Amino acid sequence: MKNSTLGDLKVDQTGVVCKIHGDSRFISRIISIGLTPNSSFTVLQNDGRSPVLVYCRDTIIAINRKECAQIEVSL
Amino acid sequence: MKTIALLGQPNSGKSTLYNALTGAHQRVGNWPGKTVEKAEGDFFYKEQLFRIADLPGSYGLTANSEEEVVTRDFIERGNADLVCLIVDASQLERSLFMLADFAGIHCPAMLVLNMMDVAKENGKTIDVAKIESLLGIPVLGFTASDDAEYPKFYETLEKAVENPRILSAEGIRKIADAVKDSSVERLESLLDGADFGVREHFWVASKLLENDPLVMAEVRATVSPDRFAEVEAVLKSEKSAGGLITGEAKYRWISEILRDSVVEKKNVVKLSRFDKIATHRIKGKLLAFGIMFVTLIGCMVLALPGMMIGFGLMSVSGPVVHSISESLGIWPVLESFVNGVLIGGLGLTICMTSFVFAIVFVFALVENVGYMARFSYVFDSWLSRLGLHGKAIMPLFSGLACTAGAACGTRVLDMRGQRLFAMVLLWGIPCGAKLSVVLFLATAFFGSAAPLFALVFLILIFASFYLSSKIFGGKLLPLEERVGMIMELPPYHKPQWKALLKMVGRNTWSVFKKALVIIVSASLIFWALSYSSDGNVENTVLYTIGNAIEPVTKLFGMRWQLFVSYLGGVFSKEASLGIMSTIFGSTDTAFSLISRDDAGANLAEVLSAAVSKPEALAFVFASMFNVPCVLAMGSTYREANSLKWMFAIMGYYFAISLGLAFVAYHVGLLIF
Ligand SMILES: Nc1nc2c(ncn2[C@@H]2O[C@H](COP(=O)(O)OP(=O)(O)OP(=O)(O)O)[C@@H](O)[C@H]2O)c(=O)[nH]1
Repeated sequence: MKNSTLGDLKVDQTGVVCKIHGDSRFISRIISIGLTPNSSFTVLQNDGRSPVLVYCRDTIIAINRKECAQIEVSL
Repeated sequence: MKTIALLGQPNSGKSTLYNALTGAHQRVGNWPGKTVEKAEGDFFYKEQLFRIADLPGSYGLTANSEEEVVTRDFIERGNADLVCLIVDASQLERSLFMLADFAGIHCPAMLVLNMMDVAKENGKTIDVAKIESLLGIPVLGFTASDDAEYPKFYETLEKAVENPRILSAEGIRKIADAVKDSSVERLESLLDGADFGVREHFWVASKLLENDPLVMAEVRATVSPDRFAEVEAVLKSEKSAGGLITGEAKYRWISEILRDSVVEKKNVVKLSRFDKIATHRIKGKLLAFGIMFVTLIGCMVLALPGMMIGFGLMSVSGPVVHSISESLGIWPVLESFVNGVLIGGLGLTICMTSFVFAIVFVFALVENVGYMARFSYVFDSWLSRLGLHGKAIMPLFSGLACTAGAACGTRVLDMRGQRLFAMVLLWGIPCGAKLSVVLFLATAFFGSAAPLFALVFLILIFASFYLSSKIFGGKLLPLEERVGMIMELPPYHKPQWKALLKMVGRNTWSVFKKALVIIVSASLIFWALSYSSDGNVENTVLYTIGNAIEPVTKLFGMRWQLFVSYLGGVFSKEASLGIMSTIFGSTDTAFSLISRDDAGANLAEVLSAAVSKPEALAFVFASMFNVPCVLAMGSTYREANSLKWMFAIMGYYFAISLGLAFVAYHVGLLIF
């Protein structure tokens, strides 16, 4: 699968972050909360509307859907 | 005196440690020129005075928000003798990011690995000594919620102060520079020869790459224009991705440190059954509303004893003071003063404080167990439209019970701007008392049309939210700080009852003190204005003033009687009805605000006979957005930590309510 973003993954799928797009403010936020390129994560909840819940570096992180589209992942 | 700066990510246990160390010796103020709260506390250890600055929490040290600017500023100026970093041992890798972001600032540091108990429970074994030898600063494995652990903390602190150690960024630098043609390296060489105080050049170069606005401005002012042009060229080639490079290097450094010092068993992660419900789009909201209802009821139950003491005090003291003053033959004015101002004020303050206690307690509990983040998660889509954090739903909802208590509940919001804005909205939400007064008036004046008023009221409340966000939103919630939710949902914790009760107790006590001042002063003013020796309204100052400004208040459709009742509503909602019943009703009850009798059953009849329809319309609308009450003023003052803000909010609501009255009156004149 090429070019999927975080919002495309289903529950229990595990992926690795490839690229993060966005301005430096967004990047600094997402990095400091623990999501970096090459980090792996598991999707815990993705109902198509609410923010996506992922498990990464020992904690649950909620990410707004719009922002999810800025995070490229691979399975 | 040694100054210690506490630095840690949210939920790392920073507040728990801070409260345990400083106990009651805390001060809250504002950072000069910022809407950020400044918390400082003192403690003694071995006859040495330590001052602790609890720096506003953030996940890293990039200066994007005001909170982060304050934190960064404090640290890079070298204001602290020691920086105490606190991290969550159960999520070491992520939590240590703060340490990695701090590395390269040459200020003595120590590291506290908090929540060791949780880490152990999760099957993690952490070799603290190993981490200490790798980092070169004192490191302590700790459990902040366990009193027995504190001697260990003091020992490490003593060691760190006596033998200051600095955390260099060399490890991160090696990783970052390993990349061929690394831009950090290039930036660092461009900074050659410049002086950045306690900060390593590598640290400054990293922040440049991360597009940190403060560092950018500083470098521009420090290096020559040619050099700065070169710096900009490097940054341009990286665009916004520069932060990814340094970010990755920092996490790589962290995992190198943890590789040999932490053993953990991998476990499969799933959302717990409870969290599946708690974060569900619909079920989660229902659950949250359920919890809020229970909370409200819980608040009432918890507040009841206090209310009984408060009201009991007022009703018992009346006759007692009366008989004392009679037997002593003291001036009756003194009796009225003691009853009205001193005892009445104290009684009201106790009533209010009990509400505050209940709300603060329940909110702190919800936050302490970690459920609050779920609230934010499910309500974010609603409140983010106003620029508020999802958890603001709690204080706003409890505003339906008591504005004063809810104002204290705005503490759950982390940023002062958010708190102030929530308080602005809160004043527009009718508390139980206001709602019943408005509906009573609507029914008294307009009979079966009252439900229509309820509907219009509801629409106006939402309109007031919109207006508030237009007027206050820009300043309090800067647009560039409003970003889509990226939030941690922390694991659930067992509540720490002892620390919790201590914290709630301290908060309630400080509300009590401030509220007492405000309420007694307000009581004094109202008492003086409404005192008449013979109980005749026309002998009060209030009457004189009301009469004098009647030409103006008539513009808003209020004769002096109505305007005085409106002002009474500022004191308390019931006072508004009390005044009306005295002015318009039978005059055998003495005119008094505080020891008021219940509004007579026939008040509705009397009112509709005495007040014309357009006036009634104006009065009902004025009452909807009248200032909540002195209690709410008191707690808003306390929470905002600023009289200026309290008066600003007050003026805003006066303007809305009189504006509405004006429109309603003139429309009323046309239709009736
Ligand atoms: N089991 C355990 N729980 C702890 C420990 N330290 C703190 N807690 C709990 O962890 C939760 C978060 O602690 P806080 O002190 O509020 O964390 P904080 O870093 O101040 O977080 P913010 O207030 O969001 O900045 C609370 O429920 C604490 O009671 C610990 O060592 N062990």
